Amino acid sequence: MPKINLNGVEKNYGGNSANAVADLDLEIGDGEFMCLLGPSGCGKTTTLRMIAGLEHLTAGEIRVGPRVVDSVVEGVFVPPERREMGLVFQSYALWPHLTIERNTDFGLRLRKMPKAEREQRVDKVMKTLGIEKYRDRYPSQLSGGQQQRVALARMLAVNPEVLLLDEPLSNLDAALRLEMRAELKRLHAEFKTTIVFVTHDQWEAMTLATTIAVMSEGQLQQVGTPNDIYDRPANRFVAQFVGNPPINIIELGEARSELSRLANAYLGSRFAELRDAGSIGIRPEALRLADAERGVAEGALSGQAEVTGILPTGGSWIIELTASGEKLFMTTHQSPEIEVGEAVTWWAKPKALHVFDKAGQRLEAADRLMRPTKLH
Amino acid sequence: MRPLKASIAAPTRGQRLRYRLKVALREPTTTIGILAAALFAYLIVVPIISMLSDAMRVQFGDERRIKQDVGELTWYYIDRVFLSRISHDLFWEPLINTLSVAAGAITLSMLVGGTLAWLLSRTDMFGRRWFATALIVPYMLPAWTFALAWTTLFKNRTVGGQPGWLESLGFSPPDWLSYGQLPVTIILALHYSPFVILLFGNALRRFDSQLEDSARILGASRLTVASKIIMPLMRPSLMSAMVLIFAKCLGEFGVPYVLGLPVNFDVLATSLYQNISSRQVGVGAVLAGAIMLIGIVTITIDARLMREARRFVTIGSKGSMNRLSPLGILRMPATGFAALMFVLSVGLPIGTLFLSTIMRVPGQFNLGNFTLDYWIGTNLNTVALQTGILLSPDLWNAAWNSLRIVGVASITSGILGLLVGYVVARTPVRPLGTFLRQVTFLPYLVPGIAFAAAYLSLFAVPRGPIPALYGTTLILMLALIADQMPYASRAGIAAMTQLGKEPEEAAQIAGAGWFRRMISIVIPIQKGSLTTGILLPFISGIKGLSLFVVLAVPSTDVLTTYSLRLVDYHYTQAANAVVLIIAGLAYFGALLGQKLTKTNLAQGLGN
Repeated sequence: MPKINLNGVEKNYGGNSANAVADLDLEIGDGEFMCLLGPSGCGKTTTLRMIAGLEHLTAGEIRVGPRVVDSVVEGVFVPPERREMGLVFQSYALWPHLTIERNTDFGLRLRKMPKAEREQRVDKVMKTLGIEKYRDRYPSQLSGGQQQRVALARMLAVNPEVLLLDEPLSNLDAALRLEMRAELKRLHAEFKTTIVFVTHDQWEAMTLATTIAVMSEGQLQQVGTPNDIYDRPANRFVAQFVGNPPINIIELGEARSELSRLANAYLGSRFAELRDAGSIGIRPEALRLADAERGVAEGALSGQAEVTGILPTGGSWIIELTASGEKLFMTTHQSPEIEVGEAVTWWAKPKALHVFDKAGQRLEAADRLMRPTKLH
Repeated sequence: MRPLKASIAAPTRGQRLRYRLKVALREPTTTIGILAAALFAYLIVVPIISMLSDAMRVQFGDERRIKQDVGELTWYYIDRVFLSRISHDLFWEPLINTLSVAAGAITLSMLVGGTLAWLLSRTDMFGRRWFATALIVPYMLPAWTFALAWTTLFKNRTVGGQPGWLESLGFSPPDWLSYGQLPVTIILALHYSPFVILLFGNALRRFDSQLEDSARILGASRLTVASKIIMPLMRPSLMSAMVLIFAKCLGEFGVPYVLGLPVNFDVLATSLYQNISSRQVGVGAVLAGAIMLIGIVTITIDARLMREARRFVTIGSKGSMNRLSPLGILRMPATGFAALMFVLSVGLPIGTLFLSTIMRVPGQFNLGNFTLDYWIGTNLNTVALQTGILLSPDLWNAAWNSLRIVGVASITSGILGLLVGYVVARTPVRPLGTFLRQVTFLPYLVPGIAFAAAYLSLFAVPRGPIPALYGTTLILMLALIADQMPYASRAGIAAMTQLGKEPEEAAQIAGAGWFRRMISIVIPIQKGSLTTGILLPFISGIKGLSLFVVLAVPSTDVLTTYSLRLVDYHYTQAANAVVLIIAGLAYFGALLGQKLTKTNLAQGLGN
């Protein structure tokens, strides 16, 4: 049963501004860990705040379970304090004048929970998050990571059915972020809460989410599992936003480009029916170099290039290739036995190619031809 | 999971409106905002409009002279103030006096304050920390403290009553030294040079010395650096200090009243006061309107300058560390100069006033001449005030009035300010926030005395359900609240904006309704700024004069008007004693505030 339903949700901040969120339909299942992923200004935080009730809608409706909590047409608006959700802010928003304990039990006091039960619950949550020794301190006396845990504890204490997280890890340093990611995943398993998580960090989304919703300029681009998003990006935006180094895009039909002519010829000779193709994407790790033992694989797209850069990243390498002025990036986990300035032959298997139409949408027909074994 | 493609009907215009209304009215924020907007419209906008309309309508008692009925439209008052034979005495001469006093005060305070600011923030002068606070003290004292001290020293035979010290020592100071333009200019300059010290000093302190270093490295001499780099960047803050001093001089009443009256030296504020006290309502309204207009123009210029200043804000980096120029051989003389300025602007006036209250005959320093009678004596041989000032019920009455009126007004405006801040920061109805911000700022443009005139115009007679309020303490409280709103609401808006909405939203998510959030989250977090928002208006209200002088009657005397009345009756010692009490209250109030809020209140005393 879906937990949260967004139907035709639209948000406009007024004036002549473009819609911050436009015609958004999204379903978040019970117990799901949903990541809203996108660049800054894409409407993901606005969406989260609308679910929480902190922003009102311009059009559309939001349901939580069977209950309509927000609907312009029906004139329903359930205020945030009665939606029974939890929200962790990017800035944590701890109350500076209350101790950690009072921050944590604030919601329970509001619910008039008996003292004994309340203390038990607070103890448990604080222990789970490892902040029980700070209970009498004030937020300003804690480090960023500790504050982050308090912000989480404060929301988990009331045991919300839905937990909303607004870039909660972006203010932490790298090591702490990794630790908190694992912690969040563990908490999700333990509390079985539905989580909606906003982030602009693709790795965070990939590692945490059961489902990712990619947004751009207020529009939902794709909803799917992390693997779906990476392996079958629905359009060029998703393909380019997810992945680092970014996907190589070869535009088709650009007469002056060597790569374009090459790819055009390749499609024309093998997949002549793909007349609508506008561009081809190749992930850096799908590019291979032909060497003495193994040549170009059967049926692959291939071409000549010069090695113009080798960037070791510790355990793997990014290789920059230049083919008549255009750049291609590839990654490899094997020490590359080439040098800058060397001429090489690169290739990619047909099933590694992402073909997009002229509007940038994924060409499903290409998948049927190029990836016949893979089901979708 | 795939996106749902359930089609949902686009809302109609009516549905959208109903939904937005529901969101807006769900919380009391908007309701409070609307009530506050109505309150301020009545307390701020209506009095000003009423006064402006007085300027254009025949007033009671003038119908035969103007030959029109009461309430009819007329140009008579405008003509009288700007064009008639007496316009010279009514408006033009006071205007010229105001402008020349202001120009003199600005020049002097720029010279003195600018030098001191530089010494304090950029040199290795001795005792900089101590001077940084000490030199701000003149601004914490009421300006006419200096005026009374000046009369105590320089009063001559032109005016009756006790002679000044110089007179009783056998010198006869000429009128130009005792009264009028010269003393008024000097006193205003002393009183307002802290402005320059604060504004210019802050700008100097924040100045990024990397900018200076870059120029030096490129081969510029110290002089070139000063003239081509530092001065251009400092110009906005200097201009802003000038404009503010001008605006303050425009509304300054006490000093020209005490020192100008004996030689008929009128400025706009005193001319307005005289017309009001002789019941020239229409002429008074025109004069108040003129003062208001000049005030608005001045503040608009200031706003422009500040915008220009923001254009080249030099963001403080590590380079903005305070770098001090060594004064070398001039270190002692510089310190001496600062000390001299402190003595002249604080020590001398306070000392003079205090000595004057314990001496029977002014200026005679033999032991038998000293007495505490004026403070605590009984059965004194005077017409009124037969006891020392501390034993006079009138003083305690005035002190109680001051405390009550200013206290209630400060607390009210502090709370209203926070509420305005809250509404401005939170309401989804943007025009409401904009209106509140602008309407509460309006009194800032109107010098206190003109604002008081506006209140008199609206509340002197019963209007609708509201009875005539003139002569009550309520009118003083209302006027004071309105007058303090610019500072209170600015503080409230700043505090609420700085807080951001997240702590409150977090409480909302946790399940707290509006009142719970106000009581458990917003007010506790804003405790500090609320204290400041109450204390600062309290201090400026205690020493304030121009608002009260128009609206107070003997039964509602506050300390300031009481001391002015004593001046009028030539009870010099008593008047001086009351002024000392006021100065003490203002000064220790500021210190207390500094302690309580752990901030440097002197910076905020620009109010």
